[in-house]
Amino acid sequence: MAQPGMFVRKASGLVRSWSVFDGFVYSFFSVNLVTLGFYIFAFAPYIPEGNLLTAIVISTIFIIFEVFVYALMVAVMPRAGGDYVWQSRILGGGIGFVLSVTGWGWILWHWVPLYGNMLAFNVFTPILGMLGGWTNSSGLVNAASWFVTTNGLFFSSLVVIILAFIYISLGMSWYARIQKFCFYLGMAGIVTMIIMMLANSRADFISSFNHYATAFFASGEGDIYQQILANAAEAGYVAAPLSKIAIIPSLALIPMVVFFNLWPNWGATLYGEVRGASDFKRNFISMFFGLVVTGILAVIVLLLFSRVFGWDFYNAANFTFYEGTSPFGVFPYPALLVSFLTDSPVLQMWLLISMSAWFFGWCGTVFLSSTRVIFAAAFDRILPDWMAYVTSKFRAPVNALLVMAVGGVIVSAGMHYTEHLETYALNATLVIAVTYLGTTIAAIILPYKDPELYKASPIARLKLFGLPLITVTGVIFLVFLLFLFYKWMTDAVYGVNEPASYLYLAALYLISIIIYVASKWYRKRQGIDLQEIHKSIPVE
Amino acid sequence: MTTIFFATDVHGSEICWKKFINAGKFYNADIIILGGDMTGKALVPFIKDSKGKYRVNFLEEEMYLDEEGKLAMEKNISDRGYYPIDVSESEYEELSADAAKVENLFVERVLQMAERWVKFAEERLSQWGIKCFICPGNDDMFEIDSVFAASRYITVAEGKVLDLDGHYEMISTGWSNPTPWDTHRECSEEELEEKIEKMAARVSNMERCVFNLHAPPYGSGLDEAPELDENLRPKYAGRSLIPVGSHAVQKVILKYQPPLALVGHIHEGRGVKKIKKTLCINPGSSYEQSTLLGAIIELDKKGVKKYVLTSG
Repeated sequence: MAQPGMFVRKASGLVRSWSVFDGFVYSFFSVNLVTLGFYIFAFAPYIPEGNLLTAIVISTIFIIFEVFVYALMVAVMPRAGGDYVWQSRILGGGIGFVLSVTGWGWILWHWVPLYGNMLAFNVFTPILGMLGGWTNSSGLVNAASWFVTTNGLFFSSLVVIILAFIYISLGMSWYARIQKFCFYLGMAGIVTMIIMMLANSRADFISSFNHYATAFFASGEGDIYQQILANAAEAGYVAAPLSKIAIIPSLALIPMVVFFNLWPNWGATLYGEVRGASDFKRNFISMFFGLVVTGILAVIVLLLFSRVFGWDFYNAANFTFYEGTSPFGVFPYPALLVSFLTDSPVLQMWLLISMSAWFFGWCGTVFLSSTRVIFAAAFDRILPDWMAYVTSKFRAPVNALLVMAVGGVIVSAGMHYTEHLETYALNATLVIAVTYLGTTIAAIILPYKDPELYKASPIARLKLFGLPLITVTGVIFLVFLLFLFYKWMTDAVYGVNEPASYLYLAALYLISIIIYVASKWYRKRQGIDLQEIHKSIPVE
Repeated sequence: MTTIFFATDVHGSEICWKKFINAGKFYNADIIILGGDMTGKALVPFIKDSKGKYRVNFLEEEMYLDEEGKLAMEKNISDRGYYPIDVSESEYEELSADAAKVENLFVERVLQMAERWVKFAEERLSQWGIKCFICPGNDDMFEIDSVFAASRYITVAEGKVLDLDGHYEMISTGWSNPTPWDTHRECSEEELEEKIEKMAARVSNMERCVFNLHAPPYGSGLDEAPELDENLRPKYAGRSLIPVGSHAVQKVILKYQPPLALVGHIHEGRGVKKIKKTLCINPGSSYEQSTLLGAIIELDKKGVKKYVLTSG
């Protein structure tokens, strides 16, 4: 509590530093290997020359600079409200609102059907399928298959919305507890999965896969393993060997991989008071290890997939699933594949349930940031007051949640029923990356745009090449972001550079711009100048 | 029509006090109100060595400064709400071993600060005709009241029913419900309720009354602070937020339903909450960044006509 070299009196708010481990847990769950990672790795076959391991390693290195940017910004303006407040103060209220409410608000509508997919692929289908197989219940087996249909995926999206509603209504104190429990359960699950993969050979996997695919998932007769490889080969797909580092071709995988690992900073806005260099280090270390430990874990798990499933098979299973040519009718969720390695239904259920904690411990984040930014913008009188309404009885931000839920339902329905959802999956990453771009630019110019604020912060003396560390690391991360934007916009494989995709993105930003302009006009009529509210009051 | 600028919890920040005083003119307010917790939390020693350099440890960084560097650093420290002090090595050791001496030094520095702040305010308020109300909060030692009370241009509002503009009255208290830090002006919920009730009994019309209460109402969302463990360490990296406001404040607001309640105390609780007929505002605090968070509220005969939170 006391700082060295200072005399501190008893005063409210003087607290000890929080645990780095707790910060790490949040970051580790945000870069979620099992949900986001396994989901996006399944698209890697669409860039067949790339090496997933190389892409993970390179992207992790560059995302460390994102961790620098956010940890440094938190050190300058802790507890301030994150991107929205940082950008509003440094770049202006209009830019701050448009980038933040689109990136932390509206685009989360798009994450709802993506989360819905993950819930169906990682939780409903595997658990119901295995239960159905063991109990010989055609109802459960049919339910497992139903969850990968359009209706099943839409239903899963609705479940995601309900879960997010419950989590946020319970409040942060409960959500933090649930998340910590899920962290331990999920870690126990992944340890189980790793042990099972180490204890079995490829031959074990092939025979058990063929058995369960046939007996439990009605995948037909014969060697399903070979059929999947043959179907992929017939479509012209051959996975590049994992041993080939392939740096240049792997760069093309990075704009996909960031769907999974661009988020170690997700909790940055929640970190508390930064009283000095050690608190800056705490912020940095918790995010850094969240990113790096996950990166290392991803590499280990992928190497084990290669050893047990076979790298060709893992990629072919994913490729044929999305091409609709796989005889194995459900998503080849790695934990489900690993569960085939045992004939113990208890161990299978333990594995699948404990691995589902990766989803349940993290899915509340889908509306958490959104409701926060909606509240901040409502308090700034940009969004209407009713959006910040909280029920007295349950203390739930019911209207902000409704805005997110209604948008989530509409986008989910639109995505599931009108277009192939996965086509636009990376739009969800792109819009948040644009918000990060705003904060990165704010970070780069901060020491020059607001020198008083910068000099008064604990990071004022941190320099690299004689320049402020926040500027140097910001420029490096900016280059990385620009690379991502260039790739997303010039290569059709990511599904971003299509007219419909651009229209969709434009519509999201247009909503924010219209709200800001209309609100500015309306408030002006009320005698409230929105530009004044972030202006610095003269001192002398 | 009356325009109020309200801020709170500047915690000794020299720059935030100056901004508060200037905010009236900047935002065209008729009245400025500071909700409480004006005093800083730390003394930062500058220890002069034999070579004439000053050793100072600020934000966990040890620095050796010349006279020019010292002046700049003193400004930084004052703006952040701490008190720079000049001591020799032996005086530093002496202070480190004697808590009573440190406490006395705190009082001395806080009073010096208060005198400086009053002077700064009077130079401006005397010209502008803007009314200024302050109400020391739970973190403020009692000694400062008399310094501010001596000013012709600043009204210390604690425990009083004050006329704001000929139409609205205001009741104020900087006392809070118990905190883990055993601060100067905290009491039981019952005592707090009694303090507020005593003032409320003297209000002529509750529909024309502003409650200026440092502690926010319990469970309003304006009172959410990081949950702490028994060692005052934030749980779950500070992500677990729990309500820590006052039940007494909640009770009196629900009972009297004044049009406006101005609260503070919980820096993270920036926001607005309508409780029955009462608009409750906690502007929050970012004094460490030299940013004055505030609220502009316009009152007409019917109540709150408009409001906006500011970040200056």
